[in-house]
Amino acid sequence: MSGWDGFLHGLSLAAQPDVLIYCVFGVLLGTFVGVLPGIGAMATISLLLPITYYLSPEAALVMLAGVYYGSQYGGAVASILLRLPGTPQSAVTTLDGYPLAQQGRAGVALFTSMISSFSGSMIGIFVLIVLSGALARAAIAFGAAEYAAMMILGLVAASTVGAKHPAKGLAMVVLGLILGCVGTDVNSGVQRFTFGQTELMDGVNLVALAMGLFGVAEVIANIRVAERTGVPPRVALRELLPSRSELRRIPFPALRGASLGSFFGALPGTGSTISSFLAYAVERRVSRHPEQFGTGAIEGVAGPEAANNAAAISAFVPTLALGIPGDPIMALMLGALVIHGVQPGPLMLEARPDMFWGLIASFGIGNVLLLILNLPLIGIWVSMLRIPFRWLYPAILIFVCLGVYSVRGSSFDMFAVALIGLIGYALSFARFNPALLLLGFVLGPLIETNLRRALLIARGDPMVFLQRPIAAAFMVVAAGLIVMSLVQVIRRQSNRAV
Amino acid sequence: MIISRRAALLGAVAVSLCKPALAQDASWPSQPQHVFVGFPAGSSPDLLARIVTEPLAEKLGQPIVIENKPGAGGVIGVQQMLNAQDQKNTFATTINGPLTTAPRLTPNLGYDVAKDIAPVALIATSPLVLVVAADFPADDLAGFVAAAGKEPEALAYGSVGKGSGAHLTAELFSDRAGVEMLHIPFTSYAEVTTAIIGHEIDCGFMAPSAAMQYAEVGKLKILGITSEKPFAQAPGVPVMAGQAGLPDDFRAELWNAFLAPASTDPVVITTLNTEINAILADATVQQRLLDMGWQAAGGSPEDLKQRIAEDTAVWGAVLDRIDAKN
Repeated sequence: MSGWDGFLHGLSLAAQPDVLIYCVFGVLLGTFVGVLPGIGAMATISLLLPITYYLSPEAALVMLAGVYYGSQYGGAVASILLRLPGTPQSAVTTLDGYPLAQQGRAGVALFTSMISSFSGSMIGIFVLIVLSGALARAAIAFGAAEYAAMMILGLVAASTVGAKHPAKGLAMVVLGLILGCVGTDVNSGVQRFTFGQTELMDGVNLVALAMGLFGVAEVIANIRVAERTGVPPRVALRELLPSRSELRRIPFPALRGASLGSFFGALPGTGSTISSFLAYAVERRVSRHPEQFGTGAIEGVAGPEAANNAAAISAFVPTLALGIPGDPIMALMLGALVIHGVQPGPLMLEARPDMFWGLIASFGIGNVLLLILNLPLIGIWVSMLRIPFRWLYPAILIFVCLGVYSVRGSSFDMFAVALIGLIGYALSFARFNPALLLLGFVLGPLIETNLRRALLIARGDPMVFLQRPIAAAFMVVAAGLIVMSLVQVIRRQSNRAV
Repeated sequence: MIISRRAALLGAVAVSLCKPALAQDASWPSQPQHVFVGFPAGSSPDLLARIVTEPLAEKLGQPIVIENKPGAGGVIGVQQMLNAQDQKNTFATTINGPLTTAPRLTPNLGYDVAKDIAPVALIATSPLVLVVAADFPADDLAGFVAAAGKEPEALAYGSVGKGSGAHLTAELFSDRAGVEMLHIPFTSYAEVTTAIIGHEIDCGFMAPSAAMQYAEVGKLKILGITSEKPFAQAPGVPVMAGQAGLPDDFRAELWNAFLAPASTDPVVITTLNTEINAILADATVQQRLLDMGWQAAGGSPEDLKQRIAEDTAVWGAVLDRIDAKN
C-alpha cells in the first residue's frame, strides 16, 4: 500500500462517526489545556489514559493524539496574550507575539499563529505520508556523532535569537547549559548538583522551569504594573484580522518553519521546542529587517508556530516506525499504543496498517477541525485580556501549580517553580532573555550525552565528528555561522570607526 | 485481545458481586487503598501494577488508587510509600532496582530495605535476551564469546543506563564468560536497538519484548536468554546457562514485587499475599503479563525476602567489579 492509498484508506476509517467524535473531543480538549499555562498535553493524556481502556483502540489513539497536537494550537494563545507560554514549545512565540498584543494587534498575532499552526501541521502530514519510510531510515543513520554535531549547530544558530545584547544572551544560554547538568550523569552515575535531593536525580523538571521563568515571573512582574494599566479597550472584529500586507508576511516563514519542524520532529530527542527556536533564528537571519524581531514581527510568530506544529506531527515517525519516543509525551503515547495491543516499531505498518493510516488521516481531519474551531475563538481569547488582573493572575498561579504538580505528582516541583519564578523575575527585570535559558537547558543534556557517547563509541577519537559525513556537514555549517557572525561584528566595528 | 480483556472485566465484576468472604481482621480494608508506582503512567511497571491491582480491588472490595511518583529509577515511589501519612492503607509495587542496587547507587536513599520494608509477593519476572545485528559474524553464543574475547573491549554493548538491569546483566555475563566489553549507556531499549541496527554498537541485553519484532523481520539476531528455562515470549531462543563456558546456574532476571511498609499488620500481608497469588494463578492475568514480557511469579513473602537478599549479593558483587574497573 503506497502512502497515498494508505492515507485515503485511513481517511475512510477516521471519518467514521464513532472515531470522529473522539477526534473532535480530543482536539477541543487539547486546545483548552494548551491555553492554560502549565497544564499541557502531558497531564491530560496521563489522566485520560485509564479511560481509554473502555474505547476501541482507534478511537482511543485518535483522541489522545488530538489532545497532543490540539495543545500546540492552544499553547500560543497565552504566549501571545499574556507572555505565559501555555506549553514549553510555544515559549519562543512570546518574543514577538506578546509585543504585538501590547500594540493592540493581539488578534493579528493569534490569526498568524493559527494559520501558521495549520499550515505547519498540514505540511507535517504531507511529509509523513511521502517520506515516513525515508525519515525512519534517516533516524537509524543518525548516530551519537550526528546528533551531537546537529545539536551544536542548533545551539550556535539559535544563540543569535536575542542578539540585541550578545553578552546577556550568551550568559543565559550558559546558565541554561549549567542547569541542564543537574541530575544523574548518564555515563558514571555520579549525582551532579543534586545536593542530596532524590527529587533532583532526574534533573530540573522542564515544565517547572518553563512555568517558573515565564508564568510565575510574569505574574510577579505584573503586580507592579497592574494598578496602573487600565483594562484594554474592546477591539472591533475587523481589527482582529491582519491587513493584506501583513498576510503576505505569513506564507514563507510558515513554509520554512514547517520544513524545519518536520525534519527535527522526526529525529527522536530533538522535538518541537528546539525546532521552534531554530525557526525563529532562521527567520531572523533571512529577514531584511532583523531589528523588528522582538518588537512584534509577524514572521517571528509564523515561523516558530509552523515549526512546532509540524514537529508535533512528524514526531510520530520515530514513535510509530522505530518505537523511540522523541519526548515524554510521545513516551506516553507509546504506552497508550501498548495498552491497546499495538506494538510500535518497524512491523507496525505491516501488522496494523489500519491503525497507522487511520491515525495519520485523523491528524488531517483534526487539524481542519482545529482551524475551524479556533478562528472564531480568536475574539473570545482576546477578550480574556479584559479580565481584571486581580482575577486573572491568581487563577493563572493556580493553573501553574496544578500543571506542574500533575507532571509527576511532586510537591518538590511546586517549591521549585516558586523559586524559579523569583529568579525569572530578577532576570527579566535585568533584561535577560529567559527563552535562551530554556534553550540551553533543553539542548545542553542532549549535546553532552551524545558527545560523550560518540567519543566512547569511537574509543576516544575526536576525529569521529569529521569522519562521518553527516556529522562533518553539521560541523562545517556551525563553523561557517560562527565565522559569519564574527565577520559581521568586525565590519560593524570598522564602520563605526570610519 | 481487547475482547478478552472486556470479558475479564465482566468476569471480575461478576466475582465481586458474590462478595468473597476473606479471613482477616474485620476492620481492614475499610478505606480506599493506595499503591505507589515509581514510574510514569503508561510505562511497563505502571501497566503491570494496574493488571494486578484491578482484580485485587475487586477481591478486597475497596478501590485501589495508583499513585505514579516517577523518578530516580523507581526509588521515589518506595520513598513516597514510606512517607505517606496513612501507613495502614498504603503499598507499592516496584522493580528490583530500589530493593537491591539502590542502597549502593543512590545517596540519601532514606530507607533501609531490611528494616523499613515488608515484602508481600513477587509479581512477575522478566529475563533478558542478548541481541546483535543480523549481519553479526557469529550465530551462537560460543561464536559471540570468541568474538568478544579477541581483545578487551573488542565489542561495545548498549544498556539503559549505569546500574540498570541491562548494564549489570552484561557485566555479570562478561565476568562469567571471561570477556571485557565496552559499556555505552543509553536511556531506552528502543535507542539501544536502533544503535545496534545502525551498527553504532555491537550488542546489548534487553527485554525480549523490545527485541522480538526486530528479530522477526531479520534486523536483529537473538543469541540467548538469561532465564533458567526457555521463555514463552521468546520461542526458540536458547537458554544461556551452561553454554559457551557460562556456569549452569547463570541467571539474570528483572522482577517486579508488591511491598508494604514494615509496620503493616502481618494479617494484612498474609491476606494480600494470598489474593495476589490467586490473581497470578489466573490464566487471563498470566497472558496479559506475558503480552508485556512478564512471566507471572507469586510465592510467599519469605520467598520474596530471600530473592531480595540473593539479588542484592549477586548485583553487589557485579557493582564491586564495575567499581574496580574504573
